[in-house]
Amino acid sequence: MPDAVVVTEDLKKYFPSRNGPVKAVDGVNLEVFPGEIFGFLGPNGAGKTTTLRILTTLVKADSGAATIAGFDVLREPGDVRRNIGYVGQAGGADRPATGRENLILQGRLYDMTLQQAKERAAELIAALDLTEFADRIAHTYSGGQLRRLDVALGIMHRPKVLFLDEPTTGLDPQNRANLWIQIGKLRDMGVTVFLTTHYLEEADTLSDRLAIMDHGKIVAEGTPTELKKLVAGDTISVGLMDDRKNAAIAALLAQKPYVRDFTVDDCHLRIVVEEGSKVMPELLRLFDQESIEVATITLAVPTLDDVFLKQTGRTLRDTESAGGEQG
Amino acid sequence: MKLLRDIGLLYKRKLMETLRNPIYIVMSMLTPVLYLILFSPLLNKLVGTGGTRSVLDLFVPGLLVIVAFFNGLFVGYGIIDEIRNGVIERFRATPTSRFAILAGPVLRDTTNVLVIVTLFTLVSVPFGFRPDPVGWLVLLVIISMLIITTASFGYALGLILKEEDRLSPIVQGVNLPILLLSGVLLPMELAPTWLQVLAHFNPVYYSVEAARVLCAGTIWDAKVGYAFLFMVPLTVLVVAWATRAVRSVVA
Ligand SMILES: Nc1ncnc2c1ncn2[C@@H]1O[C@H](COP(=O)(O)OP(=O)(O)O)[C@@H](O)[C@H]1O
Ligand SMILES: [Mg+2]
Repeated sequence: MPDAVVVTEDLKKYFPSRNGPVKAVDGVNLEVFPGEIFGFLGPNGAGKTTTLRILTTLVKADSGAATIAGFDVLREPGDVRRNIGYVGQAGGADRPATGRENLILQGRLYDMTLQQAKERAAELIAALDLTEFADRIAHTYSGGQLRRLDVALGIMHRPKVLFLDEPTTGLDPQNRANLWIQIGKLRDMGVTVFLTTHYLEEADTLSDRLAIMDHGKIVAEGTPTELKKLVAGDTISVGLMDDRKNAAIAALLAQKPYVRDFTVDDCHLRIVVEEGSKVMPELLRLFDQESIEVATITLAVPTLDDVFLKQTGRTLRDTESAGGEQG
Repeated sequence: MKLLRDIGLLYKRKLMETLRNPIYIVMSMLTPVLYLILFSPLLNKLVGTGGTRSVLDLFVPGLLVIVAFFNGLFVGYGIIDEIRNGVIERFRATPTSRFAILAGPVLRDTTNVLVIVTLFTLVSVPFGFRPDPVGWLVLLVIISMLIITTASFGYALGLILKEEDRLSPIVQGVNLPILLLSGVLLPMELAPTWLQVLAHFNPVYYSVEAARVLCAGTIWDAKVGYAFLFMVPLTVLVVAWATRAVRSVVA
């Protein structure tokens, strides 16, 4: 594997509060490799933003170490800043200026000449579909348009790694889907992306690899597929026309190596298998041979929420209502 | 040099904001002009003109100083907006120096104040204000230091407090005593001793005193010396403190 672009070692950051310290980041170890989209999934208050702020030199960790593109965030903040792009939770676009002005200023702050900055701005405006509104004052942008500008600002100077903090929070489904496309384009451009989200679908769709965070700790890490394998497996539910052959079915399923677990009651079969989409046709064929009449059949694959549930005992959807937006 | 270039870039960003919304300059003129028209006639009766000098020669220099003070104090609201929109955090994640992030806006505010002060001086001339040109130019230096100090102070407050509701009481709490103890509305000579002593802790008081003698044409005066003696270190201190606030702000 190539050298990691982001490496952290036992990062910790506690914030003082009246009821004792808030362990915002509590021993985080992770690695992000070149060209991948790395997702950071966790409920509000999990410590995602604080971790990102430590990695982008905005906040100092209490202990532990982190390097970005080989530079230490504490000792070499200047080099780190030159190598990263950062789009914070709040965005970052300057509202009283036009999108293009924002981009050119951003490029200039990274030491581009005016000419270089103008060319790069034009390039990004075309690539990220900003043309229609790039020369309007950002005050007039919709939420989705602002977010696209924010992302463009983040990659203006071709950073080695782009940090996106909750890029689609507050967007409607259509704009969210649109931004996912734009973020997908970053992968094609070869940008390494480190994004945080509390949306399961987003982490699942976008990330090549992801870490699930809760209470300042990473509770699971891997590709979305690997993570879901931590959970029991896929579940195939079968509705039968009648229950006369239940005993035979049980005997049959018990012999099949791909069946991990199953239950039969009345006209209802629940079969847990490794890879449901492969097993399903085979099962149907088997039922056909044995003249077992099937009324319905559905496949449920595990979600990242099942993974979160397994690791923390809570579901992400539950924590959603509990934790308010903070930080 | 990167630092100077970045200051220039960030200055231009804020200047564009003013140029797109020049109404701000007009609004800022409103308060001093109202004082000039509705308040200075009162002084005429109270103080008496005392020879050939117009009472405006006493009153307008102080107003010029107060304009600088006001414009600086309220900038905190603007930066709270920028913190909320993530602008400050975005700049902090770039290799730009923290000082440039402060200096750009502060220099824009200084420009605004110098424009307002010049316009207001011109408006006051037909009313009878006759400042000494050289003294007036020296006054601009003192005024620049004052606006740099108060704007930096305002930004630092905004960065530290992060919310309008927390900023307002402090801004108001600073504003009124400084104004009352500045001797702008009425000369501090009319005040009892304890009030005069208190006034000597007020940077605006020194600037107002210096402004009066400068506009009267006396440049080598102890009051001018005191103003510089007080304002130079204060400016350095407050700017350093505000730069630290930019460095350590967590949005
Ligand atoms: N500047 C701060 N001061 C005090 N507490 C903070 C600060 N920033 C974050 N926290 C606390 O740290 C925890 C993690 O916050 P954060 O990193 O913003 O989580 P996330 O981004 O996952 O929602 C929360 O409990 C939050 O209240
Ligand atoms: Mg967050």
